[in-house]
Amino acid sequence: MAYKAQFGPGSSIVAENRRKYMNPGYKLEKIRDMSDEDIVLIMGHRAPGAAYPTAHPPLAEQQEPACPIRKMVAPTEGAKAGDRIRYIQFADSMFFAPTHPYERSYLESYRYRGVDPGTLSGRQIVECRERDLEKYAKELVNTELFDSARCGIRGATVHGHSLRLAEDGMMFDMLQRCILDKKANMVKYVKNQIGEPLDKEVKAGKPMDDKWLKAHTTIFHSLGGVAYRDDAEYIEYVQRIHSLRTKYGFMPVE
Amino acid sequence: MAKAKIERTQKLFLKSLKEKFAEDPTANQTVYAREGLKQSARKREFVDSGKKMAMARGISMYDPVRCHLGGIPLGQRQLMTYEVSTTGVFVEGDDLHFVNNAAMQQMWDDIRRTILVNMDLAHQTLQKRLGKEVTPETINEYLHVLNHAMPGAAVVQEHMVETHPGLVDDCYCKVYTGDEEMVDSLEPQFVVNIDKLFPAKQAAQLKAAIGKSLWQAIHIPTVVSRTCDGGTTSRWSAMQLGMSFIGAYRMCAGEAAVADLAYAAKHAGVIQMADILPARRARGPNEPGGIKFGHFADMIQGDRKYPHDPARASLEVVAAGTMLFDQIWLGSYMSGGVGFTQYATAAYTDNILDEYTYYGMDYIKDKYKVDWKNPNEKDKVKPTQDIVNDIATEVALNGMEQYEQFPTLMEDHFGGSQRAGVLAAACGLSTSIATGNSNAGLNAWYLCMLLHKEGWSRLGFFGYDLQDQCGSANSLAIRPDEGAIGELRGPNYPNYAMNVGHQGEYAAIVGGAHYGRGDAWSLNALIKVAFADPSLKFDFAEPRREFAKGAIREFMPAGERSLIIPAR
Repeated sequence: MAYKAQFGPGSSIVAENRRKYMNPGYKLEKIRDMSDEDIVLIMGHRAPGAAYPTAHPPLAEQQEPACPIRKMVAPTEGAKAGDRIRYIQFADSMFFAPTHPYERSYLESYRYRGVDPGTLSGRQIVECRERDLEKYAKELVNTELFDSARCGIRGATVHGHSLRLAEDGMMFDMLQRCILDKKANMVKYVKNQIGEPLDKEVKAGKPMDDKWLKAHTTIFHSLGGVAYRDDAEYIEYVQRIHSLRTKYGFMPVE
Repeated sequence: MAKAKIERTQKLFLKSLKEKFAEDPTANQTVYAREGLKQSARKREFVDSGKKMAMARGISMYDPVRCHLGGIPLGQRQLMTYEVSTTGVFVEGDDLHFVNNAAMQQMWDDIRRTILVNMDLAHQTLQKRLGKEVTPETINEYLHVLNHAMPGAAVVQEHMVETHPGLVDDCYCKVYTGDEEMVDSLEPQFVVNIDKLFPAKQAAQLKAAIGKSLWQAIHIPTVVSRTCDGGTTSRWSAMQLGMSFIGAYRMCAGEAAVADLAYAAKHAGVIQMADILPARRARGPNEPGGIKFGHFADMIQGDRKYPHDPARASLEVVAAGTMLFDQIWLGSYMSGGVGFTQYATAAYTDNILDEYTYYGMDYIKDKYKVDWKNPNEKDKVKPTQDIVNDIATEVALNGMEQYEQFPTLMEDHFGGSQRAGVLAAACGLSTSIATGNSNAGLNAWYLCMLLHKEGWSRLGFFGYDLQDQCGSANSLAIRPDEGAIGELRGPNYPNYAMNVGHQGEYAAIVGGAHYGRGDAWSLNALIKVAFADPSLKFDFAEPRREFAKGAIREFMPAGERSLIIPAR
């Protein structure tokens, strides 16, 4: 029987959201429409419209060694073209941001090819070939995986995930890369992800309300959300993994 | 929502939070004033001092307004103060960097400059090989000579340079033994008196373990170990020991038999505070990476002073251990930079880990009837996987819920590594104190890490992906190629070598297993007694109080050079 991924345990809405986002068979809901140019501006790796800088010649133009693995694995578009490896990095507020670092890394690993996710507590980075990155980044920011107030695109000086929200409901950002236009109820990026001022504002959509956030979040949180303790199946699963690893190392057969 | 299993109405961290934030600690929004450096007295002092220093030396230095993030200085949110846990003393974070804290420096100095040397073999050699009489009187005389020589004075030479006593006054040697008759015969100034320093039950255990053997606790000058390295301690002490024996017992300095004495007196029965590390670490012996966790738990003396509070005793080890292993060892020896302090101090400030740990104490008392305030080996719980899982899960969930219920608490521990270390420490300590088994405590630590990671979908920095996600497999169930009991592990144990926020807590988990049983020591009775000595500059029974004193600049260290430098 072919292996069927289960994407994790749990009976709560948090667990269900985690499974949905990881599952490449689930179509992520699109909730905003940032353009290719917007994404390129915020990431700040190249000027919109500029050619992709390359790290090596296109694969078709360089002699590839006779390698069975290369024959089996089709290169991504960025790899084919010889693009540089570039990144996008997110910070996600523990106050009910839709995605959080490990969830991001898991879902990127399931959904995208040729990615190298890095997971920390206050930020999550994903690196890959530049044109592939732009395609993936567009999905990461335009869908239910992202909220413009509780998620931030931050290359450096990222902190904010664990701090109280600002009075306007935005996650704290020391560099104030994005601001809330209260009148338009619109978050606007005024700096790129490493804090360099942009020549023009980039609209990142309206902040989602609390009800939406709590329905879409992937974090357990006992203050107004789903308490971890209440998802007994989840807890039991973690205990089971731990017990099996303790007893049998990394070959946990019962 | 399902509730925590224990109700604790007096949260130990609330007072600190109220002092720090002056706002409702349960609110999840605030106004970020972005006041920058001016909100911190210490940062203002740094700015003023930086300007003066730059003028004096003609080279620019501390200039945060220009140099930090292209003009955006620290303090875009509140620059918090911190209460050193249990002390009531609020300090600025900067004051807990070891460069800014003389007590922290002295704690490490006092460990590195210490060596324990047995006297029995030397005495046998003196009697049997050299025909000398050894009596309490001769030992007293020898100790007089040694306390003259050890700081750097001559004893048999005709013409010799010496060290200034005012620079090396922290250097001395005392002896100790389980032989009460011998103790009564020696001059009190030279004795670490076990009966006077330890509670009776602990003293009896220690005396029985040490027996009639006589040990010297030697502390070479702070200034020497600072100028040289940890390996110097044995060399400096050995040279002065040899010369003192020659001087005190009037021996020939060139006779072949003296070589036997030299070996017996200097090297045959020596305990260094830390093992030498593998060559790739490029360190000598007596450097922090070689200290076994069991030995470190013995150096810290909270269990001697607070024998009925194994939680507090363990928390003192956490503080001392995070300072030494995170701030000094990993943060400077191994990594460089200043950032590790921010991680480490989370474990010993604002009574947060204290609250989580005492929650664990209430839980093990309520559920498993562990009378933790009366440490004994009889009521310890069997360290089964189910029990480890139960204690660790409850303590981890409670801690996570506290962070959630009090957003200022989360803001206080703003980094995932801080929270990960603190939560796992509470789980590890609760379990080791309940079971009396250090590896059960370590196993609880690793379950907490997995629970934490899954609950919040985040943990610490990249390093936590290594040891904390493979730790389940090297604790509790030990296979020879993977494990060692916690007592015998140390900062250089595989996977432990480069990860802040762990090693001090591991040492405390080891200590907790023994403090919870009422053991007088964790791994080595000799080390336990040596660090009970009140003549040491640093009080190893109260590391947190000492750090607080250092932070408010009331701690007087050793090794100062004011005698030999121009007055400022």
